[in-house]
Amino acid sequence: MARMGMVFDLKRCIGCNACVIGCKQENSLPDGVFFTKTLSEDYGVYPSVKRVYIPTLCNHCEDAPCEKVCPSGATYTRDDGIVMVDGEKCIGCGSCAVACPYDQRSQVSKDMLDRGLFGEGQLTDFEKQGYDRFTPGTVIKCDFCSNRVDAGLDPACVVTCPTNARIFGDFDDPDSKPNRVMRERGGGQAPLAEKNTKPKVYYIS
Amino acid sequence: MSSSERVVQNSLKPGKWVRSTCKMCLHSCTNLIHVTDDGVVNKIEGDPSNPSNMGKLCPKGNAAIMRHYDPQRFKQPMKRTNPDKGPGVDPKWEPISWDEAFDICAREIGTSLKEDPRKILPSLEDFQKMHIWTWPLSFGNFNCFQSAGTICGGAYHPANGYIHASFASINDVKYCNYWINDGTGDGFSSHLHAAASSYHMANARVDRGMKVVTVEPRLSISGAKSEEWVPIKPATDRQFALSLCHVLINEGLCDWKFLKQDTNAPYLVGEDGLFVRNDKGDIWVWDAKEDKAKLWNDKTMGDFALTGEYEVAGQKCKPAFQRFKDILDDCSPEAMEKITTVPPDTVRHIAREFAEAAQIGATIEIDGRTLPLRPAAYNYYRGAQGRKKGMQANHSYKLVNFLVGNIDAPGGHLGVNLDEKTVDWLRCEPGECGMMKGEPHQLGVVPPMSYPPNEYHLLSYFPVGVNPPHLNLSVWKDPEQFGMDYKPDVMVICHSNPLWAMQGPREGWFDIMRNMRFIVCCDIIPTETTDFADVILPSSDVLETWNMTMIEPPFTEGQCLRQPAVEPLHDTKSEEEIFYELSERMGLVDSWNNVINMVLGFHQVPELMLEPGKKYTDKEIAERKGKLWNGKDLDWYIEHGHSSTWRQSKKSYRPWEGMRLLFYIEDMVTIREDLKVNMKEKGVPFIDQWPWDDYQPLPTPDLDPIHQEPPEYDLYGFFFKDIQMNFGESLSNPWIKDIVYRDPVHTSILLNSGTMQAKGLESGDIIRLESPHGGPIYGRVAGVETMHPDAVGVSNSLSRIRTENRAVRHAGGHFNDMLPYDLKNTDAVTGQPETACRVKITKVDDWPESLKQGGTVYQMVDEIAKGKGAH
Repeated sequence: MARMGMVFDLKRCIGCNACVIGCKQENSLPDGVFFTKTLSEDYGVYPSVKRVYIPTLCNHCEDAPCEKVCPSGATYTRDDGIVMVDGEKCIGCGSCAVACPYDQRSQVSKDMLDRGLFGEGQLTDFEKQGYDRFTPGTVIKCDFCSNRVDAGLDPACVVTCPTNARIFGDFDDPDSKPNRVMRERGGGQAPLAEKNTKPKVYYIS
Repeated sequence: MSSSERVVQNSLKPGKWVRSTCKMCLHSCTNLIHVTDDGVVNKIEGDPSNPSNMGKLCPKGNAAIMRHYDPQRFKQPMKRTNPDKGPGVDPKWEPISWDEAFDICAREIGTSLKEDPRKILPSLEDFQKMHIWTWPLSFGNFNCFQSAGTICGGAYHPANGYIHASFASINDVKYCNYWINDGTGDGFSSHLHAAASSYHMANARVDRGMKVVTVEPRLSISGAKSEEWVPIKPATDRQFALSLCHVLINEGLCDWKFLKQDTNAPYLVGEDGLFVRNDKGDIWVWDAKEDKAKLWNDKTMGDFALTGEYEVAGQKCKPAFQRFKDILDDCSPEAMEKITTVPPDTVRHIAREFAEAAQIGATIEIDGRTLPLRPAAYNYYRGAQGRKKGMQANHSYKLVNFLVGNIDAPGGHLGVNLDEKTVDWLRCEPGECGMMKGEPHQLGVVPPMSYPPNEYHLLSYFPVGVNPPHLNLSVWKDPEQFGMDYKPDVMVICHSNPLWAMQGPREGWFDIMRNMRFIVCCDIIPTETTDFADVILPSSDVLETWNMTMIEPPFTEGQCLRQPAVEPLHDTKSEEEIFYELSERMGLVDSWNNVINMVLGFHQVPELMLEPGKKYTDKEIAERKGKLWNGKDLDWYIEHGHSSTWRQSKKSYRPWEGMRLLFYIEDMVTIREDLKVNMKEKGVPFIDQWPWDDYQPLPTPDLDPIHQEPPEYDLYGFFFKDIQMNFGESLSNPWIKDIVYRDPVHTSILLNSGTMQAKGLESGDIIRLESPHGGPIYGRVAGVETMHPDAVGVSNSLSRIRTENRAVRHAGGHFNDMLPYDLKNTDAVTGQPETACRVKITKVDDWPESLKQGGTVYQMVDEIAKGKGAH
């Protein structure tokens, strides 16, 4: 048993989106589909203005509403806490995408797979080797690069992040990197606490 | 295993990892290329063994696969069949054999070579293969249509050469605690090794609590991550730096010991601006203790006077430092605020914090040396250096650092080399009278001044210049004014997109290119420029070729190997093979080998020298570069990937130990006078138009011409990039587009919201921008709090024009159209042009017809907002 999760260090994040593209290449994502995004928000009035870059991905909630509403059992939680979608079981009803308060699920369409990344209907060899993981109509989302986790590696977005703004590990292990950085710097759970989904993603500033 | 748990992540599919080096910008982060058992490149990661990028890649580095598999890559040599040339005009390419392509090129280029080699206009920009870049030297041609351009560091590189004897410079991330970024993305978004800089900078900020202050008109990533953002009116950074100097000197916040012992600040300067010398050429200084003049090397020296006015050898004179102090009398924070808009209190508190953080007097032991520790430094680059008075601007930023004694000190402001070639090379050489020799010619020598001018862009008139390519257009429009006695008729272009990069109206650049008898482009995908080519020579890409490179790593040193991860996808060749084939057909192999030997340093080791009559492959040249660095052969590099280590402290810190740095650049006076004499002797008719005031041994607060434009142009326009678009081509890449065009910073023309309201505009309005030099351009405006009220910011994402590259979306005209390209706006020292312009805004009711035909950035942005992809 484990509780795999992530801490985002908002002081480190520079909003460069290397994570986003690292994810796209690791997961062969179709155009316009994101397993992670980095948002930016300006606040204040000139000249006292600030900008914060906010990385987001599936929060791998402990009480995952997507899992609760899934009628086919496609969405499930692994023993290590990673929330998964089994594409073979997914019936594409989209309930999970509606239930997710964080808008972290995408439905794969045949059109986006056919059109390809360059939008001209000719798939590159890269896409050809990657798209067989997707079943049109089904829902996909971040799984913390579960194959990599199984192999003892960090998710792709974590390893490429130029500023180490993404800290991944097991929240059940008191000595894990995310627990250590949370102890040192404090921090809070992903927003929308009122939804009470118990995200395993935290933010430190 | 259920379907969702089969191997779907690309890096874990069966395959192999190949060590290589990124080329999505000009720098040299090393990477690991994953190739599946089926031979598909399906993942690229950073190389964790490199102390520079530490396993990290920037967004561009992460997007390299999409460049490799771009369906629009040139797949074989082609010749044009449509004689009409223009933006968006289909060249109607016809595939041809390599032999035919080489024969055509050699014949057409060869015609000009025989008639007058000056008629050849090269534009060669492969920064990782400098030997390709210098191919025209093999026939004595110094022309340059666009490369090593002034949009980069026209003044920055010569200034670094004077102060550090280096190509670039950076603050010392290892020890710095107070980092000022002025007009640069260093550490956050762009310039030197973006992923590496961001990595080390984040650690310094978070783990060590480094404070960052960013000075810039737009809150960039650097500004966003800073403890303090100082909004500044564009093109006034020099005046801001001088106001900091004013406070530092007037409040005594200076490293006096450094200034007296390690710089020429005490050297006495006469009223003619030259040092006062005795008849043997030794320079006088003043001993404040004995109150008498002594020579610079007098062992009885009591105390070097930095201030005062004296009479020595019959001349009235002052220490160089006093000359600077005199200039600064006019540079109080109150006086400079009128230009910069930066409040005096802001200047004062930054100056005081900066000096306090510099810990003047502190020392540190490193590798057995006791060195000054100065953990505060002023860093700057593109936005701050791209000024009409570029040398003065660069010098002013360096002087902030001089005053606290941090030049090449731990924690301070360090020189960075482009490519050191050999592991033990120390860059600094002694010059005259105890001074370090200034090395402004970091990219090679400037040819001797000639009239009529031999170089179409007038390079030889800029004594310490990098190429001023914008002047090609000035000369083209009025060749008689410049006494030009020939007209270029052939272009040789390699990995260069001048029609995108150049400043000045596109129509002017189109006109030049339409009038070429022949244009050959060596490239991998269609660009604005390749649309004008007569022949395309398709090169293999970074995943298919060999190379060895070291491009200005900020904190490390060493050569980085590129090796083929896969066989070429198409019928393409390496740049080496292409240019050797051309050289052979034109009888240039021997002279090109000589050039390569000099440029890559092979002449230093006889066994590495390229031999006459032989052609070499990319692999053979790569191996020689590796051997030259550390004696290791290609097998060693294939195993290790690179020889990158932290830079040796003897190179980073005070490599000029025992020499005095050029606080005062006397060269500005001597090169000015030499040029004047030269111009007079040769009867140069434009001598009276030459901007002689630009040559100043110390920077002044004089305004740049941008501030004297007609008042109707009431705003200051500038353009910008962020880390997603750092350096060259990005916007044809679907992954880059997918992030860029979702970021509000890159989808509208940015205006301060207060300014926008005052002009009666609303976010989303279509506006027209014009400058006194060109335009108009059109775009959608957005009001933001993150812009200086006097500024208009245009992202590079809105800079493209309609081309054959279907992936690139054009916007409403190119910002660079509005930039000046004339002599008046060119630094007479370095050739650096002004890179901002005054603009006026007009609201328009609808897009012009040319933008209603589809394919624009703005249409794509709207589609993305509706949930569609970024095609």
